[in-house]
Amino acid sequence: MLKKYHLLAFLLICTVTTGISCTSSPRIFIKQLKNKHYQLMVNGRPYIVKGICYNPIPIGASYDYNWWSDPNKPWIADGKLMKEMGVNTVRLYQVHEDAQAVKQVISDLYKLYGIRTFLGDWLGFWEYPCPFYGDKKFQDKVMRQVTAMVSLYKDEPGVLGWILGNENNYSCLGHVNPWSSPEVDLEPDPQKQKAMRAKIYYSFVNEISKQIHKIDPNHPVGLGNGELVGLEFASKFCQDVDFVACIIYRGKTFGNFFKSLRMTFDKPLLLSEFGADCYDAYLKKEDQNMQAFFLQSQWNQIYENLANNKIGAGNCIGGAIFEWTDEWWKHNPDNPEGWKIQDTESSWSNGSYYYDIRADGNKNMNEEWFGVVALGAQLENGMNKRIPRKAYYVIRDFWKNPAIKKTHKKK
Amino acid sequence: MKKLCVVLLALSLAVPAITWAEGKAANSKEFVVYLDKNAKDNHYIPSGWIGDYGDIKMIDQSAENPHTGTTSIQFVYSAKKSQGQGWAGVYWQNPASNWGGKKGGFDLTGMTKLTFWARGAKGGEVLQKVIVGMSNKDKTYPDTASVEMGPLELTSTWKQYTVNLAGKDLSYINGGFGWTTTADLNPEGATFYIDDIKFEADPDLKPEGKKQEAMPFYIYVDRSTAGNHFIPSGYMGDFGDIKYNGASKEDAYLGDTCIKIIYSGKAAQGARWAGIFWQNPANNWGSVDAGFDLSLATKLTFWARGAVGGERIEEFKVGGIMGEFSDSDSATIGPVLLNKEWTQYTIDLRGKDMSYIIGGFAWSTNVDNNPEGATFYLDEIKFEK
Repeated sequence: MLKKYHLLAFLLICTVTTGISCTSSPRIFIKQLKNKHYQLMVNGRPYIVKGICYNPIPIGASYDYNWWSDPNKPWIADGKLMKEMGVNTVRLYQVHEDAQAVKQVISDLYKLYGIRTFLGDWLGFWEYPCPFYGDKKFQDKVMRQVTAMVSLYKDEPGVLGWILGNENNYSCLGHVNPWSSPEVDLEPDPQKQKAMRAKIYYSFVNEISKQIHKIDPNHPVGLGNGELVGLEFASKFCQDVDFVACIIYRGKTFGNFFKSLRMTFDKPLLLSEFGADCYDAYLKKEDQNMQAFFLQSQWNQIYENLANNKIGAGNCIGGAIFEWTDEWWKHNPDNPEGWKIQDTESSWSNGSYYYDIRADGNKNMNEEWFGVVALGAQLENGMNKRIPRKAYYVIRDFWKNPAIKKTHKKK
Repeated sequence: MKKLCVVLLALSLAVPAITWAEGKAANSKEFVVYLDKNAKDNHYIPSGWIGDYGDIKMIDQSAENPHTGTTSIQFVYSAKKSQGQGWAGVYWQNPASNWGGKKGGFDLTGMTKLTFWARGAKGGEVLQKVIVGMSNKDKTYPDTASVEMGPLELTSTWKQYTVNLAGKDLSYINGGFGWTTTADLNPEGATFYIDDIKFEADPDLKPEGKKQEAMPFYIYVDRSTAGNHFIPSGYMGDFGDIKYNGASKEDAYLGDTCIKIIYSGKAAQGARWAGIFWQNPANNWGSVDAGFDLSLATKLTFWARGAVGGERIEEFKVGGIMGEFSDSDSATIGPVLLNKEWTQYTIDLRGKDMSYIIGGFAWSTNVDNNPEGATFYLDEIKFEK
């Protein structure tokens, strides 16, 4: 009797005091330290997200390829390579509708290699004709979709957290997928229109975040955001997210990003998409050194801004490089013939990747060349051969011995 | 034997000359760029004409009141924008017209400053800046340093100016000296004289740190004002749609002039949008290390009005240029619907890192929101505490 009583008491203490060891999946959360720095905690230990964005589309296929059900299970071979590199997290932008396949991927990566997964949802960003965030029916649909995802996967031990949207904030400015509402249309001042759209969007994300917390108190919820744009509104209307997941392409340095975030919206930061391509659009040839140089410099800054580092802002919990493998469909998604060749035509310009900024029209960014692993045309175990680039080895070595360098040397 | 002697004599003359051309000036106390026409100590040639080179006339043996010797160099800048640039300048190079493709620079290690004398024909002529060393990293033989100073408002009498080079790597300098100016700074053109340009070794001179600029720090006060900083050189998008006039007298908000911008909305380059960045130096998209430290600024203010009212500017911006030397931060307002009356706008810079700013100010608009184009005016653009 006494023995039984003791056991019950132990279980109670366990549940009340930690809330960790007695639940089916470990509690993952972000804690604020005494010095105001932020730290992601997994199983009671600090966890630095050494992540990679993962979308293994083979040569000849496009964005709608169902790799989750690929009989060759690309994540098995990729996970092995990732583990050898030091990757501990993958970021998946959107889950597939086949729940069993999704669970298999999450489970294999975690059980075989200890790699955890951030699961995301586009929040209807790509819905035709545009995401009507001001429309209740649209909101309900997105809410149902996200909460269903959370309910389905929250107990998977490999899940690390949730990321809501990606660069959806740009739609509030009308830059990408512009939308409006009857209420916004009545406002003549475009600045006020922008503010109204931002309020609608961030309030909606906040509601989703609250719902997720009700369903799943064990994983943090992130707000996907392009740069810092609109976060002054998020600060007012989206306080219930646990962290900000920013997409940022600023070349060798993130500049004042970490401190600016502290001023604008003081939340933990995951750099959920950043990186560099490895094609020199000026010299018209692959340049692995260039990519390795930028990535190392970026990781150096991420480490500077982790918790308990005196140099930085202490608000960074890690990052996810864009991306694991090249994607050959991206330059012209509508042309299946183009999916079979790796296009070298640049599609946009970014002066902070300055080595090849003298390319025609200053277009220096090559969408199909962002992988830290190249795809070979020859097959290996039924998949395109994986060929690690220099960045793979440079970042592997950095993660093994992350000596933060104050100076950024040229490649 | 006689022949051999001649060859040896020729060699003995040639070798020191070659050595000198690539050699060190470290043991000297001074190293001359220009003293007088045909002075044997001259080491560089004023051959690198840039920008609106058609606007420049040079008399390199002007006998009109030289500072020392018998000649100085007279420059007449017409400000006619012959090449459509709105600015012009001259570099002293070695050999002539060497932009870094040939080996010709000097090792000036040990020199700590460059001095020169200048005067304007009337006084009030403004040099946008003077430069030592070229920004030519992409060339085979790049200069090891590039240092700027300016703007300089010249007086009608000779005055000596000094560029501090202490702490700079002067081991290879091919662009010994240069000046630039703009049509905005000298709308009626300018005639000025330069004399006695030389590098000097002053061991007591300390390196100049990047100084925090005092506030207010003006981008635009009035035309031809030495207080103006940054150059409206960064034309973006449909640059053919933009007409810029930095000396408009149409109802300036303050002073004599304001900026008038006509955006035609014709999508000349097919981009369907356009804008201008004010940069330092001109056309610097982050490739030149030349940002101002504006840390004391908490806001940028400016006055704007539309010609008819209702013109829509998508964005007014500070900073945000990304390159090898990126702006330390950025801030924006917009979209803005302009009033017909002058209205002051503010870009809040509190919490921003303004310690390194190349792109001082920018605007952008597009044809979708201005199908008939837009004419608007700007004045009194300044950083404030």
